[in-house]
Amino acid sequence: MNPKRYLFPIGLLILALSFLLNLGLGSVMIPFGEIVSGLFSGEWAKSSWEQIILNYRLPKALVAIFAGIGLSLSGLQMQTFFRNPLAGPFVLGISSGAGLGVAILILAGSAFGFALSGINSWAIAVAGVLGAGLVLSGVSLVAWRVKDSMTLLIVGLMFGSAVSAVISILSYFSGADALKLFTVWSMGSLGALGWSQVGILGILILLGSIPILGSIKSYNALLLGEAYAKSMGIQTGKMRWIMIGSTGILAGGITAFCGPVAFVGIAVPHLARIVWKSSDHRVLFPGSALIGAILLLLCDAAGQLPGIASTLPINAVTSLVGAPIVIGLILKRNFSRDF
Amino acid sequence: MAANQPHIALEGKGLSLGYFHNKTKKEILHDLNFQLFKGELTCLLGPNGVGKSTLIKAILGQVKPWSGEIFLENQPIQSFGVDELARSISVVLTDPVFPGNMTVGQLVALGRTPHTGWMGKLNAQDLEIVEKALSDTKITNLKDDRLSEISDGQRQKAMIARALAQDGQLIILDEPTAHLDLVNRFEVMHLLQDIAHQQRRSVLVVTHDLDIAVETADRFWLMNCGIPLTAGRPEDLIISGEIDQLLPGKKYRFSVERGKIEAIGHNLKSWKIEGDSPLAFWVEKALIKAGIGSLLEPIFVEKEPFSILYNQMNFNSLSAFIHFLKSELK
Repeated sequence: MNPKRYLFPIGLLILALSFLLNLGLGSVMIPFGEIVSGLFSGEWAKSSWEQIILNYRLPKALVAIFAGIGLSLSGLQMQTFFRNPLAGPFVLGISSGAGLGVAILILAGSAFGFALSGINSWAIAVAGVLGAGLVLSGVSLVAWRVKDSMTLLIVGLMFGSAVSAVISILSYFSGADALKLFTVWSMGSLGALGWSQVGILGILILLGSIPILGSIKSYNALLLGEAYAKSMGIQTGKMRWIMIGSTGILAGGITAFCGPVAFVGIAVPHLARIVWKSSDHRVLFPGSALIGAILLLLCDAAGQLPGIASTLPINAVTSLVGAPIVIGLILKRNFSRDF
Repeated sequence: MAANQPHIALEGKGLSLGYFHNKTKKEILHDLNFQLFKGELTCLLGPNGVGKSTLIKAILGQVKPWSGEIFLENQPIQSFGVDELARSISVVLTDPVFPGNMTVGQLVALGRTPHTGWMGKLNAQDLEIVEKALSDTKITNLKDDRLSEISDGQRQKAMIARALAQDGQLIILDEPTAHLDLVNRFEVMHLLQDIAHQQRRSVLVVTHDLDIAVETADRFWLMNCGIPLTAGRPEDLIISGEIDQLLPGKKYRFSVERGKIEAIGHNLKSWKIEGDSPLAFWVEKALIKAGIGSLLEPIFVEKEPFSILYNQMNFNSLSAFIHFLKSELK
């Protein structure tokens, strides 16, 4: 029969294995069998293992899954909407917007002398969401006036550049402590979240995914470009707002909680296209979500250097993994051919 | 008499179209009237920049006319919703945008978009229409091929099949033969003629391919700057000479005898050709093109084997003959 039918079950199996691997690796090695029996029966051989798994590694693994899903779904939407294989959450200025919010909180606080002491992960997350929302509103205002997607793409890039410049200025004037705090945030981290924050991130991912469900058909029509989509009765103006809203919630929320996580949004949709050899969004949306979750779980696991207590920043790992993938795609395959 | 009147699928009345540029109003089309009939292949011809694409956008409801109105099946086109319009009019546009991973079958299935539910799932009837569109365009064998793996001509047929699957009564094609070779141009235009005649649809084709348009179209729309749209059967327009609208200036004209465009002024017959008449035609053509002026002696053309007798000399090809004439004229 059709071998493609087995891709989703195989993918789910790989996801389960990656999840287990992610839980098992770390400064303390925990046998996989113990994790499975512990999770299902609630009885652990050592109470320290229970502490590590339930309070640290399990939320981190869930965040990896949520972030992988959310970033991949935003990347796929943007690539199809803009008909551009290099579009991603960074492109519309969403990630830079979140960065701006956090930078204002941390760096400007230091530069203008209000205290660093009030800064916790909640404050950072709120600042990130606000910043992403601010830049997104700016881009949306422009989007309301410009007619074609390519212009919107360029506007998004320009917003991103302008925001980076503001962050540079803030960094220049801020103190060493604040600069370090911001630098650490900008490296990305999946592990700094407690259960309540994981819950909120989960709700954001769910919220951002709902508009996608209703617009799968429209995204398929958009593959032929805006003009054809319009001729097939797709309201491209409405689709633009759906795309902006969904990617804003998904990518903005993730960046706010985890910091920037590069390349997942760009690379994963391409991987899904290669694995499923399809451009049908009924396959690509679940496919990208699956691959995104697996990729981020594995990247996080790879960042857990065995025997060392500290972990590599997730943004560095995904960049190290993602950059070669994108370069390989460009070199090996004709981008526009497979797109 | 009314029963014999052709069915008007699309009608434009007093249409003015244009755009704003730096706050100045630029009118492109003024007081345009047209009627598009059901079951006919209509070709829209005119020079670049005359407003053909703007007219198409107006028909698709993407550009609002400044004045006048367009009627689809006697209903003003503004009264149709986006979905309704998509179910009535389908298009094949000039710009080629092709996702390489998509198969021909998936592309044609996209044509069902305005008819399907929110997930875009095809029911048995949709699948049947897709199959029929594939077989009508004779590309059923390409159904599982990817768009990146087929030729330009096949891709254009796939786009036409997609438009067919959209199942509109009106199909508009913007230069569908622009990137195609000669054989594919004929195939595509004859395919469109079949679609118009056999399925009783209205097909409107923007084209610059006058030769093939004359062969296949039931009706011509001629557009030119400053002149109202001229519509009519191609043959009528040729006989009345109105087709020369397409050829501004006095350098070219449409030859009623030959059915194609000719340069004026070069064909003053200052020579005499005798013999087989189809061959004489090509000899004359070659002489005109080579810029040979007047010849004093008559030319005799033999058919089998081909030979030209001129001034008691024998030539077995036109190239040898013209070479001789040119060297003599020097």
